[in-house]
Amino acid sequence: MGKSKKVVKKKSADFILLIATVSLVFIGIIMVFSSSWPEAMVDFNDGYYFLKKQLISATLGFIALFTTMNIDYHFFKKFALPIYILSLLSGLLLFTPLGVELKGATRWINIGFTTFMPSDAIKVGSVIFFANFLSNKKDKVGTLVQGTIPALFYIGLSCGLILLQPDLGTTVTLGATLIAMFFVAGMKISHLSAMIVGAAAFLYFAITGEGNEYRMRRWTTFLDPFADKLGDGWQVVQSLYALGSGGLFGLGLGKSRQKFFYIPEAYNDFIFSIIGEELGLFGTLLVLLLFFILIWRGIIIALKSEDLFGCYLASGITALITVQSLINIAVVTSSIPTTGITLPFISYGGTSLLFYMASVGILLNISRHAKLDRS
Amino acid sequence: MQTPNKSTKNRLRFVLGVVAAVVAFLAWRLFYLQVYNNEELKKGALEQWTKGIDIKSNRGIIYDRNGKKLAVNVTAYTVWATPAEIKNPEETAEKISEILKMDKEVVYQKLTKNVSTEKIKQWITREEALELRKLSIRGLTIVDDSKRYYPYGNFASYILGFTDIDNNGLDGIEKTYDKYLTGIPGKIVKTTDAANRQMPYDGEKIYDPQDGLSLVLTIDETIQHFAEKAANQALLDNKAKNVSIIIMDPNTGDILALANKPDFDPNSPREPLTEEQKQEWANIPVEQLPNKWYEMWRNVAISDVYEPGSTFKVVTAAAALEENTANLNTHYFCDGFVRDIKGVVLKCASWYNPHGSQSFADAIANSCNVAFVHMGRSVGKEKMYEYIKAFGFGESTGIDLLGEQRGIIPSGPDVIKEVNLATLSYGHGIAVTPIQMVNMFSTIANGGNLMKPRLVKQLIDEEGNVVKEFPTEVRRKVLSEKTAETMLKLLEGVVTNGTGRKAYIPGYRVGGKTGTALKIIDGRYANGKYIASFGAIAPVDDPKIAVLIIIDEPSGVYYGGTIAGPVANQVIEDTLNYLEVERKFTEEEKDLIEQKVIVPDVRNKKIGEAGKLLTELGLRYTTEYQQITTESVVLDQFPLPGAEVIKGSIIDIYMNEKLNMLTMPDLTGKTKDEVIQILDELNLQYTINGSGRVISQSPKPGESLSGEISIVVELSDT
Repeated sequence: MGKSKKVVKKKSADFILLIATVSLVFIGIIMVFSSSWPEAMVDFNDGYYFLKKQLISATLGFIALFTTMNIDYHFFKKFALPIYILSLLSGLLLFTPLGVELKGATRWINIGFTTFMPSDAIKVGSVIFFANFLSNKKDKVGTLVQGTIPALFYIGLSCGLILLQPDLGTTVTLGATLIAMFFVAGMKISHLSAMIVGAAAFLYFAITGEGNEYRMRRWTTFLDPFADKLGDGWQVVQSLYALGSGGLFGLGLGKSRQKFFYIPEAYNDFIFSIIGEELGLFGTLLVLLLFFILIWRGIIIALKSEDLFGCYLASGITALITVQSLINIAVVTSSIPTTGITLPFISYGGTSLLFYMASVGILLNISRHAKLDRS
Repeated sequence: MQTPNKSTKNRLRFVLGVVAAVVAFLAWRLFYLQVYNNEELKKGALEQWTKGIDIKSNRGIIYDRNGKKLAVNVTAYTVWATPAEIKNPEETAEKISEILKMDKEVVYQKLTKNVSTEKIKQWITREEALELRKLSIRGLTIVDDSKRYYPYGNFASYILGFTDIDNNGLDGIEKTYDKYLTGIPGKIVKTTDAANRQMPYDGEKIYDPQDGLSLVLTIDETIQHFAEKAANQALLDNKAKNVSIIIMDPNTGDILALANKPDFDPNSPREPLTEEQKQEWANIPVEQLPNKWYEMWRNVAISDVYEPGSTFKVVTAAAALEENTANLNTHYFCDGFVRDIKGVVLKCASWYNPHGSQSFADAIANSCNVAFVHMGRSVGKEKMYEYIKAFGFGESTGIDLLGEQRGIIPSGPDVIKEVNLATLSYGHGIAVTPIQMVNMFSTIANGGNLMKPRLVKQLIDEEGNVVKEFPTEVRRKVLSEKTAETMLKLLEGVVTNGTGRKAYIPGYRVGGKTGTALKIIDGRYANGKYIASFGAIAPVDDPKIAVLIIIDEPSGVYYGGTIAGPVANQVIEDTLNYLEVERKFTEEEKDLIEQKVIVPDVRNKKIGEAGKLLTELGLRYTTEYQQITTESVVLDQFPLPGAEVIKGSIIDIYMNEKLNMLTMPDLTGKTKDEVIQILDELNLQYTINGSGRVISQSPKPGESLSGEISIVVELSDT
């Protein structure tokens, strides 16, 4: 082990992944600043309000990234269970008086000096724990009793806690991520098919079930957002207006009109449409490309990883980023119904940025151990 | 340590492929939304960002033919709110409602409405505007607005019309020339955020409005004043329902004046003007008020049809002369009746005292129905119909006002039966509008050309440059010069020694024709309701004006010559004086002028004796009373005995029944000297309090001055 450690230290992390991540974070800081200005002026009389908080989060994020980059990822294998339990406990805190209810959902806990989003912790914690679980099962992953049943139990546990908040978007994100990991690890295709049917059924009931009419409305709105453009279709229509008015090169950095309350909380879920409005197709494709580079490097790292845990963890982290970013962009372009999830690295939000950057740090550490073609 | 197996690696590569496909799809989707098919989205976005506020263009001014302003714009103030910027709507609403005397709830609702701008109140006073501006409430703007103002009030109302609160023409010239007067409104384009606040980009784009063009009317403000004054006086004197006066320049078709009384004030067209109206309107339900408005706004000079009666004889005579079926040497015999039409006996107005044998000229001067029946027969129904049409009856004159009626004429010569031809000849069985009638007189006056009445001469811009001229228009030649000239002489005869004597003005040769007709209401002759009219041309040697006086439903005396004649006399004399038409006295008149006569006292004398007395002194006299016997006794006379008049003047004598013609004049606004002059002329006893101008008087204008009445006039001290 000592020998291998020395070797590890000599290897450098995946530079392309680092550059792509840093680029996204910087684009995020600039765009949060730009898109939050009007609301910051009106609500806080300080245009820099969100910028300052995002800068603090990014600083903490870089610290986290460089920390995890330098922690041997096997550390996480060792502490996979406590990490998982800790993340689940943070989720349970939502149901204590610490939980902050906002717009009918409890997604934040108040820890005094700041708020914290447990689902971000649960996402990363679940990925670590699930990678550990899958790597421990090795070849038995494909079996029903040893593989699929416990896997589904863990998936259900993690997702269930998030669904209770309720937060369907994040539930879907995490569920898809864990299943992608399971698939990579060798899940039986027949089980997968059955599960896809199950997931479809679950989604169907989540949408049509009693008390969930708001989800049904999202579906009909998706089919024709302009039918009720002042009501349910508002967000999507405004997002499309932003993208459409951006054109090829955009209105210019800082010159969005849609951020003036046409798109509510423009620095959050719909920040991508502001990028489209200010920087045009040029900007949106650049961001999409950076995400694709990140995903590509993530998968390469998984492929070249020297052990199963590394491979599954890299897959999981990459899947998490992939699912959330692509769903967000699909929502913004009205390619799928609206689900309220943020764009990783770019949207405003400290917890999310911190955990995603830490996750990339882990990915970078895995890359240090992998047999990468470094040029 | 176990490394990832082949299956895992393949599955990872498969996932990468799926991700690549999704990314490619999203890239295509972005391209589609942002570049390929973004026009609709761009437009939708632009529409929601930009909000336009109209800037009104200044409405054109309406001038009379000499450049006097009849309709102008004055600054008014309008209060607008930007609800998004109102911090404390409750408190603000209270402040505003207090100053503007509005309901607080209404103001509050306007202040909290989800719109970019909301009008709080239009046309507030200067004081209110100042007070509001002093408060300097954020989100409240007081805009200088323009409001239509008619400086002369109820003056030429039926020509000018009026506008609505947004300065759109609703009636009269304001309506028919609205597109020229309005101009092109400008716009302020603002980009606003979702809460309707100004966005920090672009600023405002201002598209300047283009002001409307101004109109120069054919109306002469001074002549219009004469007409308004005379119409009002005639309305009061005769306690009539309506009086209309139209004065036209026969050579151009220009309407110089058109007045109807009672009328309305275009500054507040929905407010009643007279006391009686105010009382009547106060008692009728609100939803019926619009009917009253429309009735008040109806321009009777062009929208009311009436049976013309004797004034229409001009048409019969002109047709007969032009067609040469009669000439000045033709004689007619009147025994009071026309008895040769089966089933009908037509009466002459003077049947009890038949005209006997009379020349063509006498027939017109006497307005003898019997003679005209014969004259009409000589013309024949085909030609008669042709001339009715040629003079423009039964069709629009083309005047630039709304609501012109065409009148009612026989649909063709075939439907004109013998009796119809007979009655048509003296103006019965046909309905015409006043404007058609005055146009007919113009045709006689200008040598036989039917003109299109003109109201607007030209359009001018702000600098006064003429943008467009409206030319005069001859519609058709109706009569030869010769016939027209003959007709003028015949009409002069009516005034010098016929039924139109009251229109005689020494020095001006006036021609005219009287008319009296029973009104037709709902298709039947309405007993006791008459329309008295007088059409005139002056001076006949070089016609400058054609005039028509219509007195609708006079109370008491209703003969056109008697009540409409003096009105024509007054407006013609005033107008010709104003137009500086030189008086040309005949030798006879010159003699008369040099000879002043003291009016003798003929009261309590028998008519024969009185007549003899007056004639000996070179005076003429008229009397309203029809059944004069030698025993009739003069009760009163005017002018009163002892007045100095020129020879040839007409003395009115009243018999048997004393008519109280004297009514209290309107002294409002007059100076002390004017009051003394007016009341002295009427030989009245009075008391004047104060100095300056009249602010109140007792009795009120128009009240009868019979019996023992003390007149008190209060003057302001300024």
